[in-house]
Amino acid sequence: MYNSNEKKYDSLIDDLSFSRGRRKIKFDILFLLAVLILASFGVLIIYSATRSLVPGGVTDPQYYLKRQAIFLGAGVLLFSALQFINYRRIKDLWWIPAIIGLLSLGAVLVFGYEVHGSKSWIDLGLFPIQPSEFAKIFMIITLSAILSKRRSEKANHISFKKVIFSGVAAVIFIVLVLLEPDFGTALIFLVIFIGMLFISGANFFYVLAALAITAGGFIGALQMGIIKQYQLDRILIFLRPEVSIGGAGYNLYQSKIAIGSGGLTGKGLFLGVNTNLNYVPEHHTDFIFSVIGEELGFIGGFFVIALLGFIIWKCFHIASGSDNSFGMLMASGVGFMLLIQVVINIGMTIGIMPIIGIPLPFLSSGGSSLISTFFGMALVSNVYIYREERRDHEIAYDDFSDEI
Amino acid sequence: MSSSIRFKIIIYLVIGILAALLLRLYFLQVISGEIFAEMASENISRRTSIAAPRGNIYDRNGKLIVKSIPVSAIAAQPHILLQSDEAIELLGDYLDIPAADIREKLENSNISYLERVFLKTGIDKPTMIRIKENSDRLPGVEIVDIYLREYNYGVLGSHILGYTGEIDRERLASELYSGDYSGGDQIGLTGLEEKYESMLRGEKGEIVYEVDPIGRPVRVIEERPPVSGNDLYLTIDIDLQKITEEILFDQIMKVREKTLKNSDEHYIVPGGAVVVLSAKNGEVLSIASFPTYDPGIFSGGISPQDWAHLNDTGNYFPLNNRAIMSYAPGSVFKVVTAYSGLEENIVSEYSTTTCNGIWYGLGSDFPKLCWRKSGHGSLSIRAAIKNSCDIYFYTVGYGLFVKMDNIEELLQKYSKMFGFGQKTGIDLPSEDEGRVPDREWKKEYFADRIENTVWFPGDTVNMSIGQGDLLVTPLQMAVAYSTIANRGIQYEPHLVKEIRDPYGDVHIGGAASSWKDIELNEYYLEIIEDGLDMVTGPGGTAAYTFRNFPTGQIPIAGKTGTVEVYGKQDYAWFASYGPIGNPEYIVVVMLEQAGGGGSNASPIAEKIYRYLFGLDQ
Repeated sequence: MYNSNEKKYDSLIDDLSFSRGRRKIKFDILFLLAVLILASFGVLIIYSATRSLVPGGVTDPQYYLKRQAIFLGAGVLLFSALQFINYRRIKDLWWIPAIIGLLSLGAVLVFGYEVHGSKSWIDLGLFPIQPSEFAKIFMIITLSAILSKRRSEKANHISFKKVIFSGVAAVIFIVLVLLEPDFGTALIFLVIFIGMLFISGANFFYVLAALAITAGGFIGALQMGIIKQYQLDRILIFLRPEVSIGGAGYNLYQSKIAIGSGGLTGKGLFLGVNTNLNYVPEHHTDFIFSVIGEELGFIGGFFVIALLGFIIWKCFHIASGSDNSFGMLMASGVGFMLLIQVVINIGMTIGIMPIIGIPLPFLSSGGSSLISTFFGMALVSNVYIYREERRDHEIAYDDFSDEI
Repeated sequence: MSSSIRFKIIIYLVIGILAALLLRLYFLQVISGEIFAEMASENISRRTSIAAPRGNIYDRNGKLIVKSIPVSAIAAQPHILLQSDEAIELLGDYLDIPAADIREKLENSNISYLERVFLKTGIDKPTMIRIKENSDRLPGVEIVDIYLREYNYGVLGSHILGYTGEIDRERLASELYSGDYSGGDQIGLTGLEEKYESMLRGEKGEIVYEVDPIGRPVRVIEERPPVSGNDLYLTIDIDLQKITEEILFDQIMKVREKTLKNSDEHYIVPGGAVVVLSAKNGEVLSIASFPTYDPGIFSGGISPQDWAHLNDTGNYFPLNNRAIMSYAPGSVFKVVTAYSGLEENIVSEYSTTTCNGIWYGLGSDFPKLCWRKSGHGSLSIRAAIKNSCDIYFYTVGYGLFVKMDNIEELLQKYSKMFGFGQKTGIDLPSEDEGRVPDREWKKEYFADRIENTVWFPGDTVNMSIGQGDLLVTPLQMAVAYSTIANRGIQYEPHLVKEIRDPYGDVHIGGAASSWKDIELNEYYLEIIEDGLDMVTGPGGTAAYTFRNFPTGQIPIAGKTGTVEVYGKQDYAWFASYGPIGNPEYIVVVMLEQAGGGGSNASPIAEKIYRYLFGLDQ
């Protein structure tokens, strides 16, 4: 029975006919709604952040508005396109995204250009992209394929071989990102890997070992001078921002003032003086949450965090409802990706996380981030659409690990 | 562990983390929101003051003497400009100041980082345009409108008016300037400008700007316009001031041509002063002090060359107002001795003293000479004043000493009554008190030389003819003669008649027509006045000077003085008032190292009276 099922899902023809309308596509409407509301809200906030003092020497006050709207359109298009392909088909073709991800990360090291000291951008002629953003998704697909179970495998058990294999794959991704060097993004890759390892059902020992190796590697890098003390100081400035208001702590100091001054209800959309006057640097990208906090206050911040929380919860919920471990891991990976970025980014702007330059999903200005986020959303939605219906949720949930 | 438990763990983790974010956000925005709101508005606003036009100064007839003119100045915020060597170079190039000097000025400013340092005032149009056009390359540099002084009458009255300049760091730190002062402010540094600083300066305006992170103004939040300072209306008559200064100058030049008796040595006459008061109310009509200076050179900062010139000893210190500096008065002081003698019954109206040219009253070892070696013969008090007989006043001084010197020092008492040894109270800063020497003073002054601490009868005798350790200012002398003219009414001399605020409301100057009655014997004053009248008449010590003056119609009471100063040429004095009977003016002249008061000082007074009474028209 299992075999026939597998055959069915592995059949391209089945999928195509499937998409041609032999069966009705059922979206998770609330999930889609949350994603669209949040991303549209992001476009609006970016407009608010850039309309008075347009960054980058651009004169058109709507430049960033238009740009982000186009990226949103591209994201929605990519999302829609991906709904027609059953994710199960990708499972055996996982090496394709793996190679694309690694090649693009390699290419950026050769052909890329530096922004803020990291060689993380590559100019494709029409527009620049940040391959590491997309590589996150490619790594999630790769790791999902490697860690997913065969039906023959025991529940709650991942072989040592798989752990090593997935670890090697993750390390290759991470090392390539570290070479840019982009510690912030590398950290996200690492968290995604450890999270997925945890979800995969791997023995806790392996998860702890991964953490230990990471810590050891970090200390080693610090000892060997690969990570300089000043870089560490800069990252940890959030612990004592008052010592360096004019220096490394400036962004944080200004961000906290902007957010704090927003109060309960904020100063009103377009009226965030401190952020709009560019007191908070990078306020339309990494520090976009400062604009939200200043202009829309605690209520606005609550709305954003709640929506993000809902989407993250949906990712894990859809993952847990998946009928196979590949889908479950993929949706979880995307959930971890969102979670860690939200925590680090928002935490950074309110002074409880290190200052690490990573974008806030859906909200930070920038095409690579938005489109790759939609890529991730497409995968999650896909896992939902192509799930196997179960008669009884409770039972199906319990049966889940045995079934695969 | 089943995967459902793993998912539960993750979900709890997500909820926990997001709750932590929300809690932190709640703390920042709702609990500490107000603190941050305050920080936020301070963060983005800058206050800039707008200079207020300083009040004008008019003469007694409403003629504008000093006004304020707006000029552009270049100021910089040190903490911004110092970050760019290139900008400093460029600015130095535009302003024609070495970049190193700019840097030094910025680095030494030591002011709050929101304040500005003035680099140059009074820049020309082309420079201003160049700086404006290149403002992007000159971060932290501002063009600021300030007001500088302009003097319609040039050097005239400079010692009265004083000059203005940029406030320095010592003043900024002092209590007196603790109010609304900041670096770059123009303040009165001397003269009336200093004395009436609080009246003249006005009230600065303020603009509160919203600025971007590099200090560029984005929007005006609040603007308060400046309020002009009050205008001063002086007692000075600027036309008389002009005449006074010219006459003083001409006479000094004339005296410098003269040589000392039996010598080729010329009189040096390094300086001199003239005071003209109204006899009616203590108003100062003119004060001239030679040498003089141009207060305009201080506008916008004095050049080092000009400053060196003003402080070169060879130029006899033009900044000094000699009318309020102390000198030995010599014979012009004899009126005080005469009054003391009459009041204390040492002499009477008709008592006489015989002058043989030499006096042995202090013992045969201490002969005292009269200025006239042949002697004056027998003199009563009127003739003694007319001839300025030293020996007559020696006897008065000695008599005063003998009478009750160990109980109350009489000559000193009357000196102080006439206003010596204390400030007259004129509304000018740095007025000298002068010195009325007495036992107490001598004890202190010579504390390190015990043998000199005893007050001798000779000290009183010397003082009786205005010599010895007595020091007075020409202004004090004018007040003393005014007291005689007014029969004991002593007016406080003052320079400001009215103060008007910018709305035209009049505030009378605090010093206006303040007076006291020192209760002198009018008859004695009349006797003295008779003597003074004779000084300008035939045979008097100023007879030659007044030979063509219509003293019959306009009798002038005057007294000459020739002071011997150790190691220097004689100082010349002439103190006077007129016309007798209805005194209108007090004129006192003092010339340093200029020989006889009768021959060299009195002509100045004579010419001034001619002008005052319109005799030359």
